[in-house]
Amino acid sequence: MSQFYRSSLLSLLLYCGFSLAVIAQHTKETLLSGTFRNVHFDAFVQRLEQETPYKFYYEPAVADSVVVNLEADQQPLRKILAQVFQGTGYAFAISADHRVFITRHNPVMTSLPGSFLIQQDEQAKGNSQLANNGFLPQQESSKKTTSELKLYEIGSPGGGKSGNANLAGTLRDARTGEAIIGAHVYIESPTIGTASDQYGYFSLSLPLGRHELHIRAIGLKNTRRQIVMHSDGKLNIEIEEDIRSLKEVVVEAEKDRNVTGLQMGMERLDIRTIKQVPTAFGETDILRVVLTLPGVKSVGEGSTGMNVRGGSTDQNLILLNDATIYNPSHLFGFFSAFNPDVIKSVELYKSAIPARYGGRLSSVLEVSTREGNKKQFSGAGGIGLLTSRLTLEGPIVKNKTSILVGGRSTYSDWLLKQIPVKSFRNSEASFYDLNTQISHEIDDKNNIYLTGYLSKDRFKLDADTLYRFQNQNASLKWKHNFHNRLYSVATATRSHYSYDISNEENTANAATMEFGIDQSGVQVDFNYFPDSKHTLDFGGSSIYYQVNPGNLTRNHPESAIKDDKLQPEKAVESALYISDRFDISQRFSVSAGLRYSVFNALGAKDVFSYAPGVPKSVNTITDTLSYGSGERIATYHGPEFRLSARYGFGNNSSVKVSFNRLRQYVHMLSNTATMAPTDTWKLSDNNIKPQVGDQVALGYYRNLRANTIEFSAEAYYKWMRDFLDYRSGANIIMNHHIETDVANAEGKAYGVEVMLKKATGKLNGWISYTYSRTLTRLNDPTVSEIINRGEWYASNFDKPHDLTMISNYRFSQRFSTSLNFTYSTGRPITLPLAKYYDGSTYRIMYSDRNQYRIPDYYRVDFAMNIEGNHRVQKLAHSSWTVAVYNLTGRRNPYSIYFKSQNGKIAGYKMSIFGQPIPTVTYNFKF
Amino acid sequence: MKTRSWKNPLVWLLLMLLNGCVEPYFPEVLESSNTYLVVNGFLNASGPTTIQLLRTQNLNENGQPPAETQAKVSVESESKEQFNFIETAKGVYMSYNMQLTPGKKYRLLIRTIKGKEYASEFVEVKKTPAIDQITWRPVNEEVQIFVNTHDESNNTRYYRWEYEQTWQFKAALYSTIKYENGAVSQREPNDKPIFTCWRSESSTAIELGSSIKLSSDVISNYKLLTLPRASEKIAVKNSILVKQYALSREAYEYWETLKKNTESIGTLFDPLPSQLTSNIRSLSDPNEPVIGFLTAATMQQQRIFIDSKDLPAEWRLYYPSCSMDTVMISSGQVNERFAGGSVLPVDEVYGMSPDPIGYTYAPRSCVDCTLRGTNVKPAYWE
Repeated sequence: MSQFYRSSLLSLLLYCGFSLAVIAQHTKETLLSGTFRNVHFDAFVQRLEQETPYKFYYEPAVADSVVVNLEADQQPLRKILAQVFQGTGYAFAISADHRVFITRHNPVMTSLPGSFLIQQDEQAKGNSQLANNGFLPQQESSKKTTSELKLYEIGSPGGGKSGNANLAGTLRDARTGEAIIGAHVYIESPTIGTASDQYGYFSLSLPLGRHELHIRAIGLKNTRRQIVMHSDGKLNIEIEEDIRSLKEVVVEAEKDRNVTGLQMGMERLDIRTIKQVPTAFGETDILRVVLTLPGVKSVGEGSTGMNVRGGSTDQNLILLNDATIYNPSHLFGFFSAFNPDVIKSVELYKSAIPARYGGRLSSVLEVSTREGNKKQFSGAGGIGLLTSRLTLEGPIVKNKTSILVGGRSTYSDWLLKQIPVKSFRNSEASFYDLNTQISHEIDDKNNIYLTGYLSKDRFKLDADTLYRFQNQNASLKWKHNFHNRLYSVATATRSHYSYDISNEENTANAATMEFGIDQSGVQVDFNYFPDSKHTLDFGGSSIYYQVNPGNLTRNHPESAIKDDKLQPEKAVESALYISDRFDISQRFSVSAGLRYSVFNALGAKDVFSYAPGVPKSVNTITDTLSYGSGERIATYHGPEFRLSARYGFGNNSSVKVSFNRLRQYVHMLSNTATMAPTDTWKLSDNNIKPQVGDQVALGYYRNLRANTIEFSAEAYYKWMRDFLDYRSGANIIMNHHIETDVANAEGKAYGVEVMLKKATGKLNGWISYTYSRTLTRLNDPTVSEIINRGEWYASNFDKPHDLTMISNYRFSQRFSTSLNFTYSTGRPITLPLAKYYDGSTYRIMYSDRNQYRIPDYYRVDFAMNIEGNHRVQKLAHSSWTVAVYNLTGRRNPYSIYFKSQNGKIAGYKMSIFGQPIPTVTYNFKF
Repeated sequence: MKTRSWKNPLVWLLLMLLNGCVEPYFPEVLESSNTYLVVNGFLNASGPTTIQLLRTQNLNENGQPPAETQAKVSVESESKEQFNFIETAKGVYMSYNMQLTPGKKYRLLIRTIKGKEYASEFVEVKKTPAIDQITWRPVNEEVQIFVNTHDESNNTRYYRWEYEQTWQFKAALYSTIKYENGAVSQREPNDKPIFTCWRSESSTAIELGSSIKLSSDVISNYKLLTLPRASEKIAVKNSILVKQYALSREAYEYWETLKKNTESIGTLFDPLPSQLTSNIRSLSDPNEPVIGFLTAATMQQQRIFIDSKDLPAEWRLYYPSCSMDTVMISSGQVNERFAGGSVLPVDEVYGMSPDPIGYTYAPRSCVDCTLRGTNVKPAYWE
């Protein structure tokens, strides 16, 4: 009992800030003498270890940078070391059993000396005994912890010796104070683990007693904490950045997620991984890297439209801090709209989509931006061939509030003007984007995040048509911790996307066409961890859409264009969801979720009704129905099931299955297979039904060679109904009755994705092969004309074979190269086969829809990263990236088209990046 | 300045990026000869039926469409009644004595000289209701022509129209003299008239109408065509013969799809063209594409005239104009000027003497309307 009091007193002292870096002084100190001149630290240590009982524990990096110059005469070791490390940023600690620990910044063992003091006589100090002594009050333990050796006691002792207690906390970067997403937090025996969520938050149910808690995160040092669980408690953990891995793929945090995690069909990319994949313009491009993942394809080179597992480009929910992005590209799709310097991570869900998400059929791409450095001001930037970017961040209130502002712009306009070709000089192309994020910690339990995003594009090709588009997004999040086991996040978002196309060159048809979509949403999510076996997510959301489908105004008095405006559309989409993850045993876990969504198309609007049983066409309009403001035009609703299960075979392999259903109420109208700036979005209404998609997936995961090599194979089968396909000759712009030009098609997609990934080591990267098919069928004569005799046909983005290799080789810590290879089958095309005379005129005979394919695609890219030295104390860290895109100069077709010239019809193949394209980029970070 | 910017490596690089490259692309499938059978025409239940058999041509091929000659063409009824066609011109097959009964079903049988056999599905002979009225209206500087029809029995529902327009036009200059056999002489009444001509044109656009959304089977004011104010076609007088056919729903959809298939093709940015499904198949190879859609119907037609006198008085109509040159006899170049025939004399030029001292002349196209039309007045011309 007396020990108990003494230790608590000590702890209290610690809490008040005493003797934080004080070393055990009550032991008898050995006095040392000697002279050291320009002695390397290694040698210094060697000598000390020979001559004294001390044992040294330190990182090799210390040896690199510390040189010892001193004369000692009967001085205690701590004085000598204090002299050695003065001004180096290193700290040391000496234990009573003559162990010396050298660490960066802070000495280890802030409290161990205290416990040790009490225990010093008990030489048989088992760890468990140590654990049972001394404790820190609960509020104390929620302090940010940095020591790996200190024993953290969680909760108040006194309860039973068996059972579980909950441990929750936030993982933060020690340097910037930013939350760490997706870090793996686990204990090894028994294996219990979790991943930190997007706020860096984790909650674990652990057996009472002593544990070693391991933390692994991408690009950060692997670390661990010694803990003793007494009852529920908090432990916030700060992790140091691993500077050497600045450009290296260190996916250690992910190492066994593949096998041990329940989630399947999900890829998480860290910005560090993304940064080393070479791109056409030397600019780090998130979407381009996402496109290298298995199951993700795009129809064309300069296109950021993704086709995930056979879904069309509008079936991806792209979220930037929870706000929907409608057009994720710049400059016709050559750049993605995300500034790499502000991005923290990207998560792509291809199957087993969590119940929290909904509204799109194929995938969820969640892009999170960084919070900003909470400790000091810093910045980063890059200078590339076509773009430059700069990001500044820092604390407003230290450790409480941080701000991050990032911007990016292009000087392509200026470059175009330099080209002595008239059509280029008359062209314009410019864009910029701006990100801001403010995060504020109100108190222990409340955090607020405010983010804003703005991107604008403007381009004009050959002085003819001017295209402009913009994204504006804002989100406000409030995270509230009720207690360890329950927290909530309330989010309000607003997204705006609009574009306009003006034609001014020709006064006769000078006009401006505008389109816009606005989306305001609120969402509340709860995460509840009732016990070690269950994780409960539930919540609800509501989105209000306002669409201006088209507005045509003439912009010249002599213009012959008639002003025209399509009726605005409004709708509300709401959903409630609940899902439970149930870990039945260590090997077997299931997750079951249900989302129920309701969609109401609202007036005021006049809508057409069509004769039943025949395809909708202008000739079959039977009536016009008028709806007043706010009146319901159509209601759709339905359940969406999300089920998944995992069974583990030992530690190294597992099998997972999942089923999910999704419903989509907004549709993109595009007369091209890619994403184009002229795409418009359409809400479901009485004539256009929502799309529904089901997917089953089965995966096998195996880790080899101590988790250094990951193998995964996933197979899926997908059914889609009522997605929009186009009837022949569809007109999608300024169409007052778009339902007459589209048809609800049915689709199916299936495939196998195999991936082999080596995440660590000098050579790292991945190889993935995908076999997949995507088929469409239009076989209902009451809906549209029948395509290809009502048979299944390849959809526009059906590319059966796809092989991707991303490889990096690190020659030294400052020089690395990467070589990437992509191959895929050419996309399908409908060819004009012949011409014929029909008695009055020549007409063209086409092949079946998508019967043929354009030539196969392949490309090799090469990049080199050269970094400055890795000294920590440096004004700025900089690096050069030299890359060659399309090393072999293969002329991959971007577009195949046919033109009628002098009565002959000739085919042409256009390739955009038809030569090797070298780029140089300079990046800096301060 | 220009040369300096050429030397800028960045500019070079950008040029390289943006120029891309466009190469001719002709996949093998297009190189192979695509000669699919084309069947034009319909089974006419109110007159002689003409069926034209052609072959498709490769896209880069010029020249006349190849005809499928010496084929055996016949029509068979469901009750095995058979009518044979005879080839009247290369690839043109006619049947004069065929009696088709509305409501009954018939099919077309083709056996090519190579022995390949084709057959259409059985198609019902649709009875086409009469055209009620063809009207026209001058609106917004153009003449709009409308067709009206109805079917009291509400059976027809789907319609297709073709029209043939014939218009009278005049040469820009009226010539009083001619150059013949090396001499200029006055035009005589029995010389071939070259001032007033007629020209005809068939419709190339597909004109379709449907009354499916209406409670009664009425087509009211379907806009068939428009003629701009300044068109030569209404400068003097225009006549339009409208032919009306009743269609089955399948035929209507076939024509509608054909209509939507636009001229721009295959690029990433174009709407999807789609293949048409014919109701004629090869009996030997079911996968062989055949072009054409057989329909059977009675035909209804009506003709109207649009006289320029009836057009709004304030309209400035098309007026041909040409300028003339003069050649003096004294220059000795008269023969040289007119012998080639590319210019025609228009009138005589007089000086002091009663004999002409020269001739005015103009390019042949300004004087001779038969270059572009026929000087034979159509029998129906009012």
